[in-house]
Amino acid sequence: METHESTDCKRGPERPSTDGAVAHRSLLAVRELSVRYRLPNDLMLPALRGVTFELGRGDTLGVIGESGSGKTTLALALLGLVPTAEVEGVVEFGGTPLPLRDDRAMNRFRWSQIALVAQASGTGFDPVQRVGDQLIEPLQERRGLRRDAARERALRAWDEVGLPAQRFGHYPHQLSGGEKRRAMLAMALAGAPALLILDEPTSGLDSFTRVAILDLLRRLHAEHDLAMLVISHNPDDVRQLAQRALVLYAGRAVEVGEAHDVIESPRHPYTWGLVNAYPTMTRSKDLWGIRGEAPDPMCPPSGCAFAPRCTQTIDRCQAEIPALMPQLDRLVACHLGGLRLLLEARRLSKTFRDGPGPPVQAVQDASLHLGEGEVVAVVGQTGSGKTTLARMIVGLLEPDRGDVQLQGQPLHSLRGEARRAARRLLQFIFQDPYEALSPRLTALELVREPLDIQRIGNRAERDETARAALAAARLPTTREFLAKRVHELSGGQLQRIAIARALVVRPKVIVADEPTSMLDPSEQARVLRLLKDLQNDHGTALLLVSHDLPLVRKVADRVIVMEHGRIVEAGPSEQVVSEPRHPYTRRLLVAAAGARSQALRANGRAAPETVEAEAADDRLPAWKPPGSGREIQAGAAAEE
Amino acid sequence: MSSLATPLPRPALVSRRRLRLSAAWLGAGIVAGFAATAVLAPLVAPYHPTAYVAAPLLRPTGAYLLGTNDVGQDILSELIYGARVSLTVALLGAGLSLALALLVGVSAATVGGWFDALLMRVVDVFMAVPHLPLMIVLAAFLGPGLNSVILVVVLVMWAGPARVIRAQVLTLRERAHVKSARLLGGSHFYLMRRHLLPAVTPVAAAAFVSLAGRAVMMEAGLAFLGLGDPTLKSWGGVLRAALNFDGIYLTPYWLWWALPAGACISLLVVGFTLWGTALERYGNARVDRLQTRA
Amino acid sequence: MRWQRTGPPRWLAGRCAAFVLTLFAVITLNFALPRMMPGDPITALQDPESSLYVSDQASRAALSHYYGLDQSLIVQYGRYLRGLATGDLGWSIRLNAPVSLLIQHRILWTVLLIFPAMLAASLVSMVAGLHAGWHRGSPLDRGLIVLFAGIRTLPAFFLGVLALLLFSVRLGWFPLAGAQTPFAHYRSPWGALADLLHHWALPALVLTIEMLGGQFLLMRNSVISVLGDDFMLVAKAKGLSDRSLKYRHALRNALLPFVTVLSIQLGFAVTGSIFVEAVFAYPGMGTLAFQAVSARDYPVLQGVFLVFTVSVLTANLIADLAYARLDPRVRTR
Repeated sequence: METHESTDCKRGPERPSTDGAVAHRSLLAVRELSVRYRLPNDLMLPALRGVTFELGRGDTLGVIGESGSGKTTLALALLGLVPTAEVEGVVEFGGTPLPLRDDRAMNRFRWSQIALVAQASGTGFDPVQRVGDQLIEPLQERRGLRRDAARERALRAWDEVGLPAQRFGHYPHQLSGGEKRRAMLAMALAGAPALLILDEPTSGLDSFTRVAILDLLRRLHAEHDLAMLVISHNPDDVRQLAQRALVLYAGRAVEVGEAHDVIESPRHPYTWGLVNAYPTMTRSKDLWGIRGEAPDPMCPPSGCAFAPRCTQTIDRCQAEIPALMPQLDRLVACHLGGLRLLLEARRLSKTFRDGPGPPVQAVQDASLHLGEGEVVAVVGQTGSGKTTLARMIVGLLEPDRGDVQLQGQPLHSLRGEARRAARRLLQFIFQDPYEALSPRLTALELVREPLDIQRIGNRAERDETARAALAAARLPTTREFLAKRVHELSGGQLQRIAIARALVVRPKVIVADEPTSMLDPSEQARVLRLLKDLQNDHGTALLLVSHDLPLVRKVADRVIVMEHGRIVEAGPSEQVVSEPRHPYTRRLLVAAAGARSQALRANGRAAPETVEAEAADDRLPAWKPPGSGREIQAGAAAEE
Repeated sequence: MSSLATPLPRPALVSRRRLRLSAAWLGAGIVAGFAATAVLAPLVAPYHPTAYVAAPLLRPTGAYLLGTNDVGQDILSELIYGARVSLTVALLGAGLSLALALLVGVSAATVGGWFDALLMRVVDVFMAVPHLPLMIVLAAFLGPGLNSVILVVVLVMWAGPARVIRAQVLTLRERAHVKSARLLGGSHFYLMRRHLLPAVTPVAAAAFVSLAGRAVMMEAGLAFLGLGDPTLKSWGGVLRAALNFDGIYLTPYWLWWALPAGACISLLVVGFTLWGTALERYGNARVDRLQTRA
Repeated sequence: MRWQRTGPPRWLAGRCAAFVLTLFAVITLNFALPRMMPGDPITALQDPESSLYVSDQASRAALSHYYGLDQSLIVQYGRYLRGLATGDLGWSIRLNAPVSLLIQHRILWTVLLIFPAMLAASLVSMVAGLHAGWHRGSPLDRGLIVLFAGIRTLPAFFLGVLALLLFSVRLGWFPLAGAQTPFAHYRSPWGALADLLHHWALPALVLTIEMLGGQFLLMRNSVISVLGDDFMLVAKAKGLSDRSLKYRHALRNALLPFVTVLSIQLGFAVTGSIFVEAVFAYPGMGTLAFQAVSARDYPVLQGVFLVFTVSVLTANLIADLAYARLDPRVRTR
């Protein structure tokens, strides 16, 4: 955030310290903090398991996690407010350990050093006492101020959070939700704490109030030498308020790093799923939740808690709990070092010389990568080289230069059994199903064929698997349907058979070349949705080649734009759609919008899509942290 | 935020659960013991309770374990047969008032509108009126007899549970799973059978047991005031007879005449209370669990 | 603006309407009871063959007049209401006197028992409930629960008998019965007062204990539910002392539901007082009713019922009004 530079200057003269440069800057040091609640039936419920982090003076840390991840427990534990729980680990505040288990001794730190802005500000005030009196109360009792002095001090804090003075004497029920949130903040600030813990600072607020509260918090952080611990399930809150972010899952930190990086390019599979599941105004993509259920806290998985929902598990994930390890710019708790790079294409080039005319440079120096479970769209008009690129990636074409690596293995130099195994992991869906599906085979045989080729299971198992794949592709599995051949099926049905055929061998990567272009619009949407659904469930990575940018942005995480065989722009899909940088991308968007409005006008209707496309340009976020600009994601960029 | 509601003081102690469980069994055991005595009264009791078996005002002896009363009836036999009266009133009083409460509560909640409003006003009247004066007037006009006692007990007890059951049904009806069953076309009867009654049952079971305990108290009270059935031996009646005997306090008779009768009443009420509290807790825990799932 | 006073809230008007409605229902019930009962006890009073026959000529005439048996039901009802308005509660068969006069003589004794007992029980249960709830699960809490729940299983009359046996018979600290020593001549008004207090103490104590059980559990639950509220956590996060948390926040909030239920407790107090008076032969309305039961003195029973009920209903209404004053959420709506 822009305020950090200035707070750096405000930190004042550094006190001499015996512990060296790190320790005296550190305000809060949490080491291996574990909290277990005792349930009425005497079982222990682990809520936090060995969380470690540090927070410097004036620093901001965001803690992200779903409900039940232990984030509120963390807030309460730091204040010693979990009396029924067993607390292990050490929390140092300003260099001295907090007496977490001594309720009375903790009173010295509460409010005056570490203040809590509770999530439940709606019910956080005593309903039978005036809000102002509740602000004055700690000033009198803790600071020993006389009532008028305490009142003056409380009113100053009241004013600082932007509340009108006449509200001071009101009862809690007379204040609105936003006012209560501000009053709660004023109560915390009145103690002039060094650390502010904000538990879900914006939950339950309408969007106007939310923006106002976020602005206020940023201002307060800038004006006071205030460290903040922002606890939220909303990644956007954390991005807007915190420098660094810590992601909690089932009581453990799974990823720690710069807030912006963690949210923009998550490294842990859980963070990735969480960020994608959360709606943001700028996101043009549809929402897809994380598959599976959060683990039962009473009997967590023996290994990595996220393993049952993860798409890239290896045996070790079930057996061993991953430690938080440094991975490039951050800490990630994953045996695989975070999201795996599934497919990497490096500087692929292809020139066609066999025609009568001059050689055609179809693809030049195109590089891309595809991570675990990612959907990447390659967009461009006909002749931009996108299909050539896709075919080189799957091995249908030999590139002139460059190579493709699938899970670290060079695809084009593989031979024999290794090649067949790799072919299973990488499936291709053709543009035209009529062309790609043999007219001689029945529907069942078409879907079973990859299994036959790969020699997976016996005949009965293959039939069963094929039928399941057809059902997953929302196709009937009646005897009549299974016996149908290509000419008896519609285009949409055929394309879905093609999808079932690709999925039946459980590939890690699917490359789909214009999978919907041959279909009518209603079938287009259904097939694309199906593809994304199956991709989400199976955790397959998807490389989607298309000319229809507005369509693919609904499913794609990232978009790569190609023109004349070169990659001209690449980035997160909402960014490419809402802030196109390259003129060609803008032309693509306008052309698509124009085509749509014309098509609609031809049908005698208004053109809402145009309006939407224009409006998308206005949907810039109100405030952006530095570094959230437009640098292209590492590796996704067209190389110089 | 659920964790905000973590209670502030002290954790629970380890043996709590087991203690509660054994308290429930103890309560049910006490009730069962009295029930067995009541059923087997002719076999257990040494004499017929209204028979004049010996000289009046005998001290306890081997033949008359608790002595005899002022007209020469065996006090122990009176108490054994008294269990029959207490448990009859408990069973019928609690059963009928619960049936009435279910009828009123469920129909008020399901029909709603003015019907609900009217029934709830009636419930309010019965809740607001002090019970004993109402019972006395009702019992006096109804005349003596076990039927009047039961009727009076039902009339003052039904209102509270009716309101609880109505509230329960109302919240249930708003639950998603009941709504969805209704949207799927589930009939009133189906909803009642599959969703409402099973959910109300634990509440009703707990209510039944604690109502039974209250009924025992009320019967004893009415009998003590002289509003019971004079032809039946009841613990309250025995206590009344003892206290009506002039000079009871000046003699040691109270020790075997008044005290055991009162102790019987209290012990049976303790049994019902222990049992009922455990059931209530079980019901609440079940409701809590269902709510957190939803 | 919503935070300005807009007069009494609507639910209070609703409460008043409910009060009037309940009152009307009770008065009507009182009218209907003797007239709809099987065996018609009132006709029996006039019937020389019946065991209930009232032999005294004047009483019979007064009763006949009071019930207005020769008139139609509507006329009877009208006369009944008019009589109530002028304080006419009927004529006692047994004592051959107007019921209103009898009650006038007795009501003070009952008030003397009920109110001090309510007050004492409230104060004790407030303190005990607050501490038990605060230290939930502690030996103190569990001990108090067992004690008070145990008391609740004792019927009031049995508790009274036990107290009488222990304190009056065994220890001889208190007199056996009555509200004052009969035919006593006091040398000073202080002597009379001492005698009154001497008679009053034990029944009042029994009634207090009888009421403690319910009120204690009520207060304890109220405290525990307040302790689970978010604002208690927020207050604790301010580093306030236990004393502030306990008295300024927990107590004040827990008292609100406690006050509303106090009026319901008055109903229990009435029940308890009838039994206690019966055991101690204390000359209040309970004893009046107790004696009327044996004599089947219906007008007295009806009068006592009406007076008790109207008092309790009125107290309920007052408690609701008090609640509205105490809770700012209602007061400043």
